[in-house]
Amino acid sequence: MQLFSCPFCGPRDETEFHFAAEAGKTRPEPAGEVSPEAWSGYLYAKSNPGGPSREIWQHVTCGEFFLMERDTLTHEVAGSKALRGQRP
Amino acid sequence: MAEKTVRTGWDLKRGHDAATKWTPTPDWRSAAIVRSSWSARPLHGLGQTLLSGDLDAARAALAPNASEAGLWQVAEGDALVRIARDRALLVTARPLSAPAGWSPSGWATSAADDAWAVIELAGESARAVCAQATSADLEAGSPSAALLFAGVTCLLYRTAPETARIHVERGFAPYLWRWLETVEG
Ligand SMILES: [Zn+2]
Repeated sequence: MQLFSCPFCGPRDETEFHFAAEAGKTRPEPAGEVSPEAWSGYLYAKSNPGGPSREIWQHVTCGEFFLMERDTLTHEVAGSKALRGQRP
Repeated sequence: MAEKTVRTGWDLKRGHDAATKWTPTPDWRSAAIVRSSWSARPLHGLGQTLLSGDLDAARAALAPNASEAGLWQVAEGDALVRIARDRALLVTARPLSAPAGWSPSGWATSAADDAWAVIELAGESARAVCAQATSADLEAGSPSAALLFAGVTCLLYRTAPETARIHVERGFAPYLWRWLETVEG
């Protein structure tokens, strides 16, 4: 069992989280001019680093998507960061 | 005449009632779990209204006295049970008659009076029962009451130091009740 930290809820069991995507991917636009190869690369190609990585995860129970930096070899979590403005 | 067999993986016969495979739904009118140090009962008739958007403005308009409840926090009376940054379940003694939809002041309501079943856990061991259902640190002050509780998404907060409330999507309520029945002590 491992704890991940949701930027809103705080530390919760890993079972409450889903991996969403590698961070830094930008959807190619405009859709009508994107080649099948570029679209396929956006959807399926992953760099899958062994070591420090930046990923988008979702905390399923609150619904928030956020940035998590972790090491895929040691499972150590360096931190998580909200992707949207905080409620003032 | 031979009975016609419907071809499925279970080789079910015509007229077979698959519902009998499942654990029976409790009779919610009389369901109760009573142990020496804790008890559980379903709560009926509460108002449950899902709020989205500007939660402070929504509370001011609908239930100004509602106190905000995150995970395991105590809210007496009306409760603004926080789910996410911009989403909460407003729990009131009776259903509100607020119109559904967007308000010009930046929030929206959806009537959800019957969407969640509500179970009250009371007694000195209520906390220990909850601790079996989650590894979340109940005292850590998490602002969201939403969590995986015995494997299903629930809202968990308290209305008194030894009285907890669980809101669970109604379809999962029979499972959660059966799970509670397996807890000893
Ligand atoms: Zn969260």
